Amino acid sequence: MSADLVARLVSFCRALRARGLPVTTSHAVDAARALRCAGIGDRRLVHLSLRCVLTSRPEEFPVFDELFETAFLRCDPGPRPAGEIRRVAREGAPALTSWSAQADGDEEPEQVPGASDRAAREKKDLAALEADDIDELDRIAARIARRLAARPSRRWKPGRKGARVDLRRTMRRAPANGAELLDLRFRVRKTRKTRIVALCDVSGSMDLYSRLLLRFLHALQGSAARVESFVFSTGLVRVTPLLRGREYAAALRELSAGAHGFSGGTRIGECLSSFNAQWGRLVDARTVVVILSDGWDTGEPSLLSAEMEALKMRSRRLVWLNPLLGSPGYQPLALGMQAALPHLSVFAPAHDLESLRALERHLVA
Amino acid sequence: MIDEIPRLLQRLDEEAYVADPAIATSLHLAIQLRKPLLVEGHAGVGKTEIAKVLARVLGTDLIRLQCYEGLDTSTALYEWNYPRQLLQIRRQESGAAETDIFGEGFLLKRPLLQAIAHGGRAPVLLVDEIDRSDEEFEAFLLEVLSDFQVTVPEIGTIRATERPHVILTSNRSRELSDALRRRCLYLWIDYPPFEKELSIVRRKVPGASDELAAQIVALVQQLRRARLSKVPGVSETLDWAAALVTLHSAHLSRDVIEATLGCVLKDEGDLRKVRGEIEAGRLPLGAA
Repeated sequence: MSADLVARLVSFCRALRARGLPVTTSHAVDAARALRCAGIGDRRLVHLSLRCVLTSRPEEFPVFDELFETAFLRCDPGPRPAGEIRRVAREGAPALTSWSAQADGDEEPEQVPGASDRAAREKKDLAALEADDIDELDRIAARIARRLAARPSRRWKPGRKGARVDLRRTMRRAPANGAELLDLRFRVRKTRKTRIVALCDVSGSMDLYSRLLLRFLHALQGSAARVESFVFSTGLVRVTPLLRGREYAAALRELSAGAHGFSGGTRIGECLSSFNAQWGRLVDARTVVVILSDGWDTGEPSLLSAEMEALKMRSRRLVWLNPLLGSPGYQPLALGMQAALPHLSVFAPAHDLESLRALERHLVA
Repeated sequence: MIDEIPRLLQRLDEEAYVADPAIATSLHLAIQLRKPLLVEGHAGVGKTEIAKVLARVLGTDLIRLQCYEGLDTSTALYEWNYPRQLLQIRRQESGAAETDIFGEGFLLKRPLLQAIAHGGRAPVLLVDEIDRSDEEFEAFLLEVLSDFQVTVPEIGTIRATERPHVILTSNRSRELSDALRRRCLYLWIDYPPFEKELSIVRRKVPGASDELAAQIVALVQQLRRARLSKVPGVSETLDWAAALVTLHSAHLSRDVIEATLGCVLKDEGDLRKVRGEIEAGRLPLGAA
């Protein structure tokens, strides 16, 4: 293989890496080997061979194809276009302090007809809840946390006593006991630790509910379960450390001190996008993702839909709790809600204690 | 050397697998570089079939490991044959010659060990629906795939004399780890375009008339563009074609579609939606 081709291959790999593809040195070596066995006579086969070696997801194909065009057609690779993958990664969650600045800009909260009316009407219920039933709220959270921590898995581990005899271990000891299986070994179900990732909408239209729901998350996190909490409106912020090990009142003070006014328009799609890019690794096949939002989104519905799909694919289940669902006659007509609906495993209300109690079923199931 | 990919394409075709250059190139590289090939795509696009046809092309054995949640080493790798061990103990008690009950004779080889201990020509190991297994198993598999050796504490280390050809399939029901992806070559199979699907139907359901085959494929391709919750795969197209051949239909009429739609659509909501479209005359497009 000519030195020129190798050099070009290496710089192609570097370009892919710069655009966010996980291409390593061993990939480059494999790419060279691939070209040696597939030949370099047919440009289409070169393209297919390199794609087979250097990509690992269909989402990477567009970037790959684009860079392949530049690397293997013209000699001058030309100016490098801004990378999509990079761009998503750089658009991290804005710092808490920049939140209010953003809200002051042209991101005026969308005036949602009816939303503020409803909020005013139900204010009393929630106020009453804050005063009397807060203990009950904590109890529900603790109960859910307990159930989550103790789910039987389908895997087995050795145990002193248990449902099933562990024949492998029993046999291993058998000859020592004079060939009688007197000393039975058992195996028991491993417990599976479910993780919860909660994304709570704290924009203006959600204000009353989000206080209640954050309180709930605080209680949930205070128990044994592994809970990661985020809040979002126009940006996304991880609040797990804030909620952990503090009095709720103190946590809330700190939260609002950092971001005065949980308001501004809601950009659910963009927030989910930055969640997926930055925190996506928190979500795996045993994670339940809970989004608490009314679905009023001022962003692009198609972005929201795509990000929801990505989230759905990674998680064990995707639960959307919509406080508005509790009001009679509510139809999920908001564009954001419409875009999200097809990707949900569970769509449930969360406006009072009753609905939070029902939440246990969705999270634990 | 350069003609090898077209030749492979031809061989696949002889084995009644309608491939395209992307599939042939990936298989060729998997054979040559001896790296595992990760095949992803929607349900029913022929991912599993690739491994089967590869085994036929290479004239070697196919060893299949079907993954599911909770799959562990005793089902994937090896297990001891306990009844046999117990019998042996009894026999020894009544005076039979002593044998080590933890010897090879008492070992039940599960697919992974079968593939590693396989003598002769390297087999094809199909790890089917890896996305259904859990992360613990994925990590274990990664280890096996990196050095193709397994240690059974009672026996020792068993090494593959020849590396098996490994095909992993995934429906993307969950994201596989980057570590696993990094170790594999990658092939994405999309729903085939009209021409390719038509030739698949012709190959696999020879009884279907040209007209019927074209009508079926055209309608299925339309259905894929509709927003359905369970999008029909190529296997559904083939099932449908076979059903229509059994019913001696020479072409698709509205009644025939109505009666057999369950071959293609496996979701009640989808069925209702498509039936509505047919009633309203919006489907099939361009058909009488």
